[in-house]
Amino acid sequence: MTLLAIRDLYLHYRSGDRVVHAVDGVSLTIENKGEAVGIVGESGSGKTSMATALMRMLPRNVARFDGSILLDGQELTILSDDDFRRQIRWKKIAMVFQGSMSILNPVLRIGFQVAEPLLAGGEVSKREALQRAESLLERVGLPAGIAQRYPHELSGGQKQRVVIATALIMNPDLLILDEPTSALDVSVQAQIMNLLKDLKEDPGISMIFITHDIGLASDLCDHIAVAYAGQHAEFGSAERVLLDPHHPYTNLLLRSLPRLHETEPPQAMPGQPPDLTRPPAGCRFHPRCPWAFEVCFSEAPPEYPMADGGHARCFLNDAAVSGDRFQAHLRHWAESRV
Amino acid sequence: MLVEVTGGHVVFSTRKGVFRSGQVYALNGVELTIRRGETVALVGESGSGKTTLGRLTLRLVEPSQGKVFFDGKEITHASESELRPFRQRAQIVFQDPFSSLNPYMSVRELIEEPLIIDGEGSSQERRSRVDAALEAVDLLPASRFAAKYPNQMSGGQRQRVGIARALVRDPDYIVTDEPVSMIDASSRIEILALLDRLQRERRMAFLFITHDIATARYFADRIAVMYAGTIVEEAPAGAVIDTPMHPYTQALIAAVPEPDPANRFKRRPVVPGEPGSADGRVVGCPFYNRCPHRMTGVCDTITPPLAEWESGHRTACHLYDSRYATLEPQSGSPLVRTDLQYSPMNGR
Ligand SMILES: Nc1ncnc2c1ncn2[C@@H]1O[C@H](COP(=O)(O)OP(=O)(O)OP(=O)(O)O)[C@@H](O)[C@H]1O
Ligand SMILES: Nc1ncnc2c1ncn2[C@@H]1O[C@H](COP(=O)(O)OP(=O)(O)OP(=O)(O)O)[C@@H](O)[C@H]1O
Ligand code: SF4
Ligand SMILES: [Mg+2]
Ligand SMILES: [Mg+2]
Repeated sequence: MTLLAIRDLYLHYRSGDRVVHAVDGVSLTIENKGEAVGIVGESGSGKTSMATALMRMLPRNVARFDGSILLDGQELTILSDDDFRRQIRWKKIAMVFQGSMSILNPVLRIGFQVAEPLLAGGEVSKREALQRAESLLERVGLPAGIAQRYPHELSGGQKQRVVIATALIMNPDLLILDEPTSALDVSVQAQIMNLLKDLKEDPGISMIFITHDIGLASDLCDHIAVAYAGQHAEFGSAERVLLDPHHPYTNLLLRSLPRLHETEPPQAMPGQPPDLTRPPAGCRFHPRCPWAFEVCFSEAPPEYPMADGGHARCFLNDAAVSGDRFQAHLRHWAESRV
Repeated sequence: MLVEVTGGHVVFSTRKGVFRSGQVYALNGVELTIRRGETVALVGESGSGKTTLGRLTLRLVEPSQGKVFFDGKEITHASESELRPFRQRAQIVFQDPFSSLNPYMSVRELIEEPLIIDGEGSSQERRSRVDAALEAVDLLPASRFAAKYPNQMSGGQRQRVGIARALVRDPDYIVTDEPVSMIDASSRIEILALLDRLQRERRMAFLFITHDIATARYFADRIAVMYAGTIVEEAPAGAVIDTPMHPYTQALIAAVPEPDPANRFKRRPVVPGEPGSADGRVVGCPFYNRCPHRMTGVCDTITPPLAEWESGHRTACHLYDSRYATLEPQSGSPLVRTDLQYSPMNGR
């Protein structure tokens, strides 16, 4: 059965007398256990907002929150806050927050911090909770005895492992990771990525992996969603999105990456990210898109379905609208494949 | 040679608890040279001493051993008053856009401040120099940006202000220190392209401190790789990335994720263990305890010198020393072992 199906999710914030369209019609599916979906995109594209909507950990200034979130066939949006907290948050869906390494409590022993959600639930004894914390700490690759230590005695990579263990303590089916390695060195990052690969396989945790680095997403994710201005400009299998992108933004994102063994410098992304209180009319990407044509300025492209089950929100995929531009751009894309 | 450090050691004293004090060996015999108009990138893990080395070349710290030269003149132990003319020619740009600018100063005040400190020019002259610096970093129109405060600008714009603040003194040498940051790759490329342009226009020398070795390739002439307070490899940028020699550099490069959908089916080769420590003096090679190729009896007793085994490509590793060629490294090639990786079973 489909693990997670998000349909037409909206999350808007009030900001003064304006509305921030942080999540503005997002759909996303995770079919299987142990599958990882990457959400990549620039700062401010609404990645964290979508995650907080899934965790229902919303700020007070929410202006709009609706859509459908099916987890294992259960509609989550109709649950009361109490039921959501009792049944879903941490138990079914857990999250490693952006920058959470730095919010470990400095005066609590590691083992206790990891066990805390279990203790708060009050369903197991303290002894049992601590035991489970210790075995999880071992599972995420930390040396024995770390449960007795304090956060300041740990390296950055070790702290991130602790945070991951904390998220796993209630045996969730879905783990959301928001930029879990962005404060770490590449070598430590690689160690954490290997750990996440292990957890995907055994016990088969499904993941939503949020990052601004599409290269890093390819290290873990079976599917990739490319977030732009509160929507997903493109979604599909990692193979399709990385090797055969059908949205100009994805294409430019790939070309803005530095490549180790290429002598051509990366190309900076043109323009600035849009102001989400006033998303551009027409295609949201049109002000920055080198390939924009008439219709892009006035009409919003729908999600054109792709053969891999994904989609791309770009008129170039509609030969009836874009005419021979379509072929030209496909050729261009083909030439700039990774 | 514009910048030169020979045998540089820096030791910091720290307080550990109330009665114990400790020593941090931040730099352990570093050799570094930068020519006029050249960009050298300094890469390496957190705590390896990159910032300390940058500060040493600027004489913001004093070495406990070794020498520091600028433009042929020794400044190892020069006093602050002796350093005055040098201070104007060598600048540091902190690339953390959120903590490095005083939030209560306008952009004009921020950029003018160094000139006031130097006692440079009339207020009219200073005004036009600030405008010129803003124009050089593409903050246009200059007069509009000069009136802003840091919180009214984006991260990228704040970084540009930081650069303008260094440029206004018209330096010969700039150190840019980039934190492990969350800044989007594309906005970082923009800043680097700007620095690259400025450097070509003004023939400044750059020490470019970064965690991103892939980007370093495009913006640096040479890359120096640091590990635990020493430079373990140093060569033209392309050579370091395409034919890395030191086992640490090899591991560093293997860890960079490039976008490839096949990545997820492979585990990444990683060096086991924790980052190098600066807590004690190391005997032998600082990478010994994590190195997949260490030769016991040599690597743990003799410190490998940074030697030029190939033309223009220097590395501090005994593997390339013919005297030890008969010894069997702990593993054969390929040099980066893929079997020594994190596994939940061996719990590294
Ligand atoms: N509580 C809030 N109130 C008002 N606006 C908010 C709030 N939280 C986020 N925003 C705005 O919503 C938009 C999306 O923010 P979000 O944090 O989801 O982006 P992101 O993709 O996670 O960015 P980053 O990569 O920087 O983490 C941004 O314009 C942001 O400024
Ligand atoms: N003023 C200081 N007092 C005591 N120890 C210091 C001081 N400055 C740096 N150190 C220590 O010296 C070592 C090298 O630090 P340095 O900041 O140069 O590393 P780095 O390579 O710049 O790291 P990062 O990538 O995290 O910026 C570290 O162990 C650090 O904790
Ligand atoms: S000197 Fe020895 S321990 Fe050090 S990197 Fe070379 S082989 Fe490894
Ligand atoms: Mg975010
Ligand atoms: Mg530093």
